[in-house]
Amino acid sequence: MSILRTDNLTHKYSVGTPFEVTALDSVSLDIEEGELVAVIGHTGSGKSTLIQHFNGLLKPSEGKVYVDGKDIWESKQSLREARFKVGLCFQYPEYQLFEETVYKDIAFGPRNMGLSDDEIDARVRRAAEFTGVTDEMLEKSPFDLSGGEKRRVAIAGVMAMEPKILILDEPTSGLDPKGRDTILELIRDYRERTGSTVMIVSHSMEDVADIATKVLVVNSSKIMSYDTVPNTYKRAAELLEVGLDVPSVTKIFMELHDRGLPVRTDIYTVEQGIEEINKLRLEGVNL
Amino acid sequence: MMHDITIGQFFPGNSIIHRMDPRMKLILTFIYIIVIFVCKNFWSLGVMVLALIIMVLLSKVPVKVILKSIKPIAIIITFTAILNIFYVSDGDPLFDWRFIHITTGGIYTAIFMIIRIIALVVASSLLTYTTSPTLITDGIERLLSPLKFMKNSVHTIAMMMTIALRFIPTLVDEFEKITNAQKARGADLETGTLVERAKALVPVLVPLFITSFRRAYELAFAMECRCYHGAEGRTRMKIMKYSKLDAFALLFICVVTGGVVALNILFVHII
Ligand SMILES: Nc1ncnc2c1ncn2[C@@H]1O[C@H](COP(=O)(O)OP(=O)(O)OP(=O)(O)O)[C@@H](O)[C@H]1O
Ligand SMILES: [Mg+2]
Repeated sequence: MSILRTDNLTHKYSVGTPFEVTALDSVSLDIEEGELVAVIGHTGSGKSTLIQHFNGLLKPSEGKVYVDGKDIWESKQSLREARFKVGLCFQYPEYQLFEETVYKDIAFGPRNMGLSDDEIDARVRRAAEFTGVTDEMLEKSPFDLSGGEKRRVAIAGVMAMEPKILILDEPTSGLDPKGRDTILELIRDYRERTGSTVMIVSHSMEDVADIATKVLVVNSSKIMSYDTVPNTYKRAAELLEVGLDVPSVTKIFMELHDRGLPVRTDIYTVEQGIEEINKLRLEGVNL
Repeated sequence: MMHDITIGQFFPGNSIIHRMDPRMKLILTFIYIIVIFVCKNFWSLGVMVLALIIMVLLSKVPVKVILKSIKPIAIIITFTAILNIFYVSDGDPLFDWRFIHITTGGIYTAIFMIIRIIALVVASSLLTYTTSPTLITDGIERLLSPLKFMKNSVHTIAMMMTIALRFIPTLVDEFEKITNAQKARGADLETGTLVERAKALVPVLVPLFITSFRRAYELAFAMECRCYHGAEGRTRMKIMKYSKLDAFALLFICVVTGGVVALNILFVHII
């Protein structure tokens, strides 16, 4: 059964003013449990708008959103359930820290869920361990941490709610390559260990291609494609057309293909590239 | 919730009123407000209302938007009306019961006051709807700049106002973002007693303050890096010029004022 479903979801901002924009236009989507979905799209394509519908922060102008098969706008109860089933971590989450200590800040979500003190403590420690937040850091003020550390604390704050679906809006923006890899790795580990569904919003597909099982391409308020990573890269030309970047390896192979070499164009990692070239060599193609 | 605040919200457009010089609009609004207090009877007030209606129509700002600006002062209007009905005791008695005396004079005054307040608010809203906040502060600065002895402070105050206005939308945005982030962590901001709700705002206000201070520092550094040092020797990029349009507008308000004075003299005063 699909865990997230939208049915002709349309969202308009500032309705009835000269600033009215349709940020989402009749989006119908079906996401299976356990996937790691990379949501990519151009600036202003509607990615953030889309994900804020999944836990009911935004109300659809038209259409329906189902979490776990339940219409989240059916009642107050179902909305509250969706809030806790879907953990949403916004872009630059470090600016939302507010407590005196890191521990208390991570505990904010679980406390709102009304859990017992023991359970809260267990969850905070689990989330901290996951995100590499040390015991020493737990006692510090969140404002005394470095940017990357703050980011991890903020993500831990959402993970501690142990949502069935974890959604992160550009979790790697503004981090150096090492910080980026750390975050992506811990997200992958989280999914493997808990079996939850994960969505990562990103500008750049190259970042998320390694860990994603599915790619959702959003383009000007609509879903352009929702498919596996290789299948998405097969449409690299279309992606380039709508202003999305594809990995350099893919570009090289597209170019080779255009020059008449019989190569695949759905290649997106260097390893695949090497394999493909070796295959050509074996077949005796003159390179 | 923040989006309900319409006073001071700019409604972009290219109407005659939008194109007027902001200084002239400020002067006219000021004159209008004074003249509306000069009105002594329904005839002169009627002229003012008519003038306002013409200006609203010329501005092409939807009437619905204009009416929205009245909503926040509904309580004040009601309160003024009730006070006047009960306390003014001229005219013929209409209703007498124990300590409640209602007279025609009271009713007239109440209606007069309601129209006057609405006209005031609509006139000042029209200014802010058709002039962007930066143009307004710029206009104020230029109108006050002949006061040489306080030139520097005029500039400083205008700069502070411009910056404050510039950051209101940013703050509203930030407020919404942080609210959403805390709601996503299960914060409940909408239910509970007043104290509970005030407490629930802490997770929103703390990050908001911290971000604002950070922004203020960054902005100050950025301004210093670009050699900002106050009004001394500063020239302007945009020159404001009065046009024919502004002359017409001035003529219009003069005619209206003349009409009001004449009607005040011709007909009996009711207040
Ligand atoms: N609160 C808002 N009020 C009005 N318009 C908005 C609001 N938030 C977003 N929009 C508009 O909706 C459209 C989609 O915005 P959205 O934030 O979903 O884009 P995005 O894909 O997340 O972009 P980015 O990659 O820059 O984060 C944009 O045109 C944007 O200007
Ligand atoms: Mg976004």
